Amino acid sequence: MAPLKSMEKDHPLIDTHFQSFFEDFLLYDLHALIASADNHSSSNTFKQGIDQLLSVIDAKLPSLRNGLQLLQDAECNKLLLPTGFQGIDALLGGGLRAGQLTELVGPSSSGKTQACLTSASTVAKNGGSVIYFDTGNSFSPQRIADLVGQTSGYVVGNQAELGPLQRVMERILCYSVFDIYQLFDMLQQLKINLKSKIVESDHRIQLLIIDSISSLITPILGGSGPQGHALMISAGYLLKKLADDHNIAVLVTNHMVAGEGGTSKPALGESWKSVPHIRLLLSREYGSNVCNISTLKHPSVASGRAAKCTMYL
Amino acid sequence: MEVGMLPISASKRGKLLAAGYTTLHSISRASPSHLATDIGVSEDEACEILKYASQTSALDPSIGSSNASTLEGGQTAWTMLNEEKFATRITTSCADLDNILGGGITCKEVTELGGVPGIGKTQIGIQLAVNVQIPPEYGGLGGKAIYIDTEGSFMVERVLQIAEACIEDMSEYSHHFHNTVQDCEVKLHPNGILENIFYFRVCSYTEQIALVNYLDKFIEEHKDVKIIILDSVTFHFRQDFDDMALRTRLLSEMALKLMKLARKFCLAVVLLNQVTTKYIEGSYQLTLALGDSWSHSCTNRIVLFWNGDERHAYIDKSPSLKSASAAYSVTTRGIRNSNSSCKRIKMV
Repeated sequence: MAPLKSMEKDHPLIDTHFQSFFEDFLLYDLHALIASADNHSSSNTFKQGIDQLLSVIDAKLPSLRNGLQLLQDAECNKLLLPTGFQGIDALLGGGLRAGQLTELVGPSSSGKTQACLTSASTVAKNGGSVIYFDTGNSFSPQRIADLVGQTSGYVVGNQAELGPLQRVMERILCYSVFDIYQLFDMLQQLKINLKSKIVESDHRIQLLIIDSISSLITPILGGSGPQGHALMISAGYLLKKLADDHNIAVLVTNHMVAGEGGTSKPALGESWKSVPHIRLLLSREYGSNVCNISTLKHPSVASGRAAKCTMYL
Repeated sequence: MEVGMLPISASKRGKLLAAGYTTLHSISRASPSHLATDIGVSEDEACEILKYASQTSALDPSIGSSNASTLEGGQTAWTMLNEEKFATRITTSCADLDNILGGGITCKEVTELGGVPGIGKTQIGIQLAVNVQIPPEYGGLGGKAIYIDTEGSFMVERVLQIAEACIEDMSEYSHHFHNTVQDCEVKLHPNGILENIFYFRVCSYTEQIALVNYLDKFIEEHKDVKIIILDSVTFHFRQDFDDMALRTRLLSEMALKLMKLARKFCLAVVLLNQVTTKYIEGSYQLTLALGDSWSHSCTNRIVLFWNGDERHAYIDKSPSLKSASAAYSVTTRGIRNSNSSCKRIKMV
């Protein structure tokens, strides 16, 4: 909310008299303010000013919803998106849920990028659009083509089937992001564009992937000020708001760092733990194709459940 | 949008918040002089803050992107697939190694090579610096190389040796495949190859970071650079670094900058790394140095190791290549297939 003096242009009632009288508007009880306005000479204009200010504040608040409305919203809009990665689908009861932020955490080469690519190809094949933010130049279009081909019979070399493959791959948009500020810019732009666009039912954005968000946050986390933490939490908040407002499933990846006693723990620290709705831990034994996935945090499933799946190459 | 998301210094941000400006909306309504007196900075600095604020909020819905994509600046997977088909890779001169790499080192990606001392990391680096200059007629990129040396292991005599061997291989190749003698005159000379390698020597980690920051401007001026080799990225970060958290931050930022260079200028970045031991699951194992966070800062990772008497390379991490290993050898002519005589060359 802007300082009172910057609102003077739009709302002439909030003039200098008003400002000097109601210096810290939000701090005081409303009835006490109205009572003190009564005792003043220009009490009517003051009361109208208070009303106008209250309406400005109300306009900024989202509407309240009751439980039944939330349930209806969940049933119609917040659907499960199958990822095509059997382990994840098994653990999450069907797939990624629209409106929630899911995090995949695991050591290097455990299958996080493969899970992201598989999810992107499955969602695109089922008709939705995917936005992929790539911070490590790991987006491989060849791998996407192979994955789409494997499960739907489109052979890449076959000329006749290039049309459907092209349509599926054109629904996946890949952006290279190398900076946390660049990420903020793009998320803001996405928020504004989604708000102002008329909803296209056919190919609307269903999945947003950031691979990996930890490489954007690690350079600014720690150090002298709380700046890094603030940006990290703001990024989490922006992603969750985007997910909820526009019914998008958000998938991010994180890496591991050394913890106490030689064990590993997820990076980004304690404050990040509460940001994603769902956290899954991936690991892969050296030299094998089998990926182990377990739940670290889930709002409705007990954590500690595990699943295995084989990664195809 | 919040003021906290603007790329300005912490003190200016603190002043803005203290004066009550928490959203960009509120800043953009103020005039520069008004803002300057309010938060106590000079008018120039206030103008700069307003410029940042207007850049980010110039994503005005009324201007809007009507038929452009939902978000600008990206490519569809289909366009990227078609681009990838025409991308040439940089050969390593060892056919087995090229096979597991899908043809060679890819441009637009950061590849990390690590191994014990003496396994041949610098040799591979020098071979790549020479091979990137192979002209397009012979299946190469015809580009220049940047070699950043932190350890002092770059021997010019060795580069000359490898360059001469490469030119001999090219003329032998063209003799097999071209009929007239005029066609197969290889226009390269060993000194020419040496001229196309830009060599930088760095002696501390601050120099290393400064150089990576400077490379953006350097490559703008020398657009035909197609490979950057950092030998080795570990050396200045290993000893005497007191603040480990600072080291992690510096390394991740450097990794992001290298990724950006690779993507922006379509070149390959090759980082050479050392090894250390790590206590995993009850035993000590050899892993690449610089810790767990660094292991996520590359696109592909190849581990070099000894298998009996032979040198092997193993793909440890890749988004698109299968895990495989291949044998290679270091000969007087450079990197070649193992157990093959020097005269028998396999060039693509």
